Order: sequence, then structure tokens, then C-alpha cells
Amino acid sequence: MSLTRRDLLIGSAALAAGAAVTAPFLLPKYHSDQRPKRSRVAILHAQQYSDQLDQILAAGLRLFPINVRGKKVLLKPNLVDYIPGNAINTHPLLVLAAAESFRRMGAESVLLAEGPGHQRDTQLVLSQSGYQQYLRDEKIQFVDLNRDELIRTPLRASYTGMGDLWLPRTVQEADFLVSMPKIKTHHWSGVTLSMKNMFGVVPGARYGWPKNILHWKGIQESILDLCATVPIHFVIADGIVAMEGNGPLNGTPRPLGKIVLADDPVAADATCARLMGFEPGRIAHIGEGSRFLGNASPALIDLVGETVNAPGTSFQVVPEFRHLRAL
Amino acid sequence: MRFDSKEVSHYKVRTVTNDPIVLSNLLAELALRQLPCGGWAALASSSQPAIEPTCYSALALGSAPVGDIARAQGFLLRTRNPNGSWPVFPGDDQEGGWVTSLAVAALRDLVPAIPARLQGIHWVLNCAGKESNWLWKWKFRTADRHVRFDPEKYGWPWFPDTVSWVVPTAFSILALSQIPCSCGGLESVPFRVDRGIEMLMDRACPGGGWNAGNGVVYGTALAPHPDDTAIALLALSDRGQYPIVQGSVDYLERVAQTLTAPWSLAWAILALAAHHRPSSSLSSSLASFPDLSGIEDTSTLAVVCLALDQPRALQAFGVTL
Repeated sequence: MSLTRRDLLIGSAALAAGAAVTAPFLLPKYHSDQRPKRSRVAILHAQQYSDQLDQILAAGLRLFPINVRGKKVLLKPNLVDYIPGNAINTHPLLVLAAAESFRRMGAESVLLAEGPGHQRDTQLVLSQSGYQQYLRDEKIQFVDLNRDELIRTPLRASYTGMGDLWLPRTVQEADFLVSMPKIKTHHWSGVTLSMKNMFGVVPGARYGWPKNILHWKGIQESILDLCATVPIHFVIADGIVAMEGNGPLNGTPRPLGKIVLADDPVAADATCARLMGFEPGRIAHIGEGSRFLGNASPALIDLVGETVNAPGTSFQVVPEFRHLRAL
Repeated sequence: MRFDSKEVSHYKVRTVTNDPIVLSNLLAELALRQLPCGGWAALASSSQPAIEPTCYSALALGSAPVGDIARAQGFLLRTRNPNGSWPVFPGDDQEGGWVTSLAVAALRDLVPAIPARLQGIHWVLNCAGKESNWLWKWKFRTADRHVRFDPEKYGWPWFPDTVSWVVPTAFSILALSQIPCSCGGLESVPFRVDRGIEMLMDRACPGGGWNAGNGVVYGTALAPHPDDTAIALLALSDRGQYPIVQGSVDYLERVAQTLTAPWSLAWAILALAAHHRPSSSLSSSLASFPDLSGIEDTSTLAVVCLALDQPRALQAFGVTL
């Protein structure tokens, strides 16, 4: 069979059209590969919230070659709402211990910043959850990210297709961002850990309460776009008392007795997921994040401190996320 | 220069509050925070003007002899979007947002602003929660049923292309309720107000009160928020006979005694006053909060001023007692 020039032209045009259609699905949706060669995670044992956390955390941080001298450190806890008896928020004693540690390590400043996603009265959440008094006593500055000055910020990934977001100036000016999640299950995203915690930097004043646009654009996709754009430099996850079931607000407290530290949010979240009895690769944002944001594979994670012991019983989840369970 | 540098001395303001000196101090602080452009920033430490704090501040200052209300109104008129809506702040995307209904309320006494207010009202009328569309109605009826709500009953979103939420719906009802007639292109006002009220009733928490708008999720009743409840109750001030409203006022009255944050307490005071519940002891509690002038959040400062001057504040929101 001989090919005519006309056949070649038609064939080339068909190939080009096919490539134009399929390329968006094949091309990576992230702008750069931010993965470190190896990641370090430390699992610390802590049975309760007490003044001992200061020493436990300081010892844990010494396991990492962190240099925050002269840097502006921003601690981003998970403060969503307050319901008596529910383990919703990162415990203030752990946040205080972190602030104290980074101050001792020579940080130029340590500030706390959060934009609660559910409750518009940030001051009420701070007051009811016990933060306000500690912040005053320890002279720690708090910035309400729901109402901070905003800068239009191009997203460094295109999972949502939003292109850009208005993000708080305080977050962009920080030199060292520490995500401090509460280890919880989540009825829309499976888990809420250090990566999902970044929803709190999206300003409610611009996007509403809850930050509904992120739900419409896809929660997993929004997590990936945000984490690609706002780098998390360190993770301190509160798993002393975690939450299972119908999180992030109405789940059941689950004592886990762990604090997880990491220099890579994907490694942190993958490790937390294993501690919850989940297979990290089945959590969409962790699985996809391991392609460009960090390392999820145990082979690429240097584990210091305790080893990962999966619980006897996986964390309870809503029915849609039962497939996450590794057990 | 971050703030206007003019000196503002204390002055006497005619109010019914028991704490006129507190109020005059707070109004003076509010006036000091007005930016040279005429607007206010969300935070005292910021110089980025925004519409929400500007509207509350303009309403709070009203006819007070401090602050430049004309400059505030000029700022609001200058920052309108071409489609008649208001952005969250100057420089924001121009699709508009929920603050449009607040801006319409803040400009209510300004005759030259009537065309701008009308355009704003038209934008509000054309804006609806995404569940008002048949396709999304169908989705919420069939595939996405974890949040309990009736998609037939829709109100207003925070921003276009998302679903209805309690606070933007309540402010839209308040803005539309101030329209003197439903004629000349405004014929759909009664329909939208009724739908919005139905939506608020539908989204109430089972034990009374409102949060952002999710009463029940995965079969679990979610807790109400005092501020969301109060703002919804302001919009429902003429529906006091409804059991849901009565239950929510009861909830707010109980929780208001325990509130430790001025924003929620201030809104609670306004809503309880609108529903003829006693609030003078709450006003005294609010006035005795430590360092009210130092509140970083300017919207909170302005709403505290409004709560300490209830009759004028309720009039500004179009609530008749």
C-alpha cells in the first residue's frame, strides 16, 4: 500500500487533533516536582496534653536539621469550630510548645495564623478552645487569615483549573510555615491532615464560610493546588487525641498518643494515615501528592523516633471512605 | 500614610445606650481607622480597604460628628463593579459578591446613590444559589444527599456559582425588604424574599438557631452559631410567630449570656432587641469588655458600636420594631 501526500496530510492532522484532545489528560497538572530525595518523619509518644509537651517536642525537633534562625515562623494550627468534648482543634498546649521551641531555636518571630472554615467569629473559637488566654500570657501574635490583606496568587498546579487564588499576605511573607493539623477523619476528603489543613489559609472574607468554592472545584484537587502554591516547610501533627468517624466536627475522640513531626507534608500525611490504619495511596491527595509534592513510600522516608504500628482497629470512617482501610 | 492623621476628640452622641462614653470612644476609634480613600480595612493593622468593614463602619457612624461619611459613601460608589455589584475589596475580581446587599443598605440615605442602589438590587435579584438550577436540584435530590436540605428552597450564595448560605441570604432579605415597591423591574422581590425565608427555615439546626447553613450532615445535627443565628433572626424579625424563629430566639437568649467574644455578642444584642427580648444587661456586658477600642477586627468594632446604639442600628438594617 502506498501513501499519498494527501493521506499523510490527513493522518498528520488526525494525529495533531488527537494529541490536542488527549494532551491535557496526559500532561502533569503540576508546574514543578518539589519532592525531596528523602524525607524524615518522627513519631513521638505523648499520652496526654501537659506541660511535658514542651520537652517532648523540643527533643523531637532536634531530630531534624532545621534552621529557623532569623526567620519568620508561621504556625498554622487546625481551628475550625468549638464543640465541647469533641477533639476538633489542634490542642493549644502543643501549639504553645511549638512556639516556645522555635523561639528558642532563634526564630525572628513566631506567629499563629488561621482562618476557621466553619465559624465566622474567630475570636469566639480562640476563646472557647482555650487559645486566647495562652496567646495573651505568652505574647504570641495571632493573625485571622479570614480577614488578612490579600494578594492575588497564581496557583502552581492546575487540578482545579482556578488559575489563581487571593491568599493572605501573612502566609506569603512567612519564611517557615509549620502545618499543625489535628489527626482526624473527614467526611468529604477521607482524612484531614497537614495538607488539608491548608484550607485554613484560604480567606473566608473572599471565599465565604465554609470555603464553598473549594468544595465545588473538588476538595482533593483544591488541596493539591494549595499545597503546590503555599509550601509547607514542616509538620507537627496532633495525634495525642485524634478523631474518627464523622469528622471533622462530629466524629468521636480517638486517643492515639502520638505526635508526628516531618519535613515533608506528604510523608507526614502518609505516616499519619498508616497510624490510622489506612492505605495512604488510596487517599487521592496523598497518592497524587506523592507524584510531585513529597514522598509517601516508606522506602523514601527515614523514620526516626517510634516505628509505625498500625492500630488494631482502623479509624472509623463514613461509608464512602471504607476503602481507605488497610486492615 | 496608613490612617488619617486628624485628631478626634471625645464628643457626646445622643443614644439610648447606658454606655454613651464607651460608644463615643469606640466611634472615635472607628473614625480614626478610616483610610484616606474613604473606606476601612478589615484589620486595624491593614491598609487594604474592604467593603464589609466599610459598610458596617458607615452604618455605625451614621450621622455621628466624627468620621467622614460622605467620603465613605464616595468610596462605596467608586468601587462598584460594572455589573452593578460590589467586590469584596477594590481590585478584586468583578463578578461581585454577597457584600452587595450590605453596600445597598449602607447607601440607603444617600439620594444620589439611588441609581447605584437600584443596580445593586437588580444584581442581588439575579444572583441565586446554585441549587436553584434544575440540574443541581436533581443532583442534590439523587446523588448528593449527605447534607439534609430542600434544594427547592434557595437563597443567596457568598459568591456566584456556589450554593446558598445563611448569612448572605439573610443580608439579601434585609436589603430587598427595604425596597419601597416591587415595581419597575423589581416584581420578583416578594418571590425571592419568600424563597429566601423558606430557605432559612429549611436550613435551621434541629435544636434551634443556624450555623453557616448545614443543619444536618450524615444524619448528625450540627451545632448552631450565635452570630449566624442572630443575623438570620434580623432577617426574620417579622416572622416571630414561626416556631423555628421562636426556638432560635430562645437559643440565642440562652447562649448570649455565655458569649466571650464581642462580634457574636453584638449581633446577639441586635437580634434579641429586634425580637423584643431584653438585652440591656447584655449591652452592659458588651460595654465592659476589656479594651474594646483595641479590637483588631474593624467589622467587629463597628458592629459593637451598632449594638450599643440599637434603635438606630435596627433602623439602618431596615428592621422595624
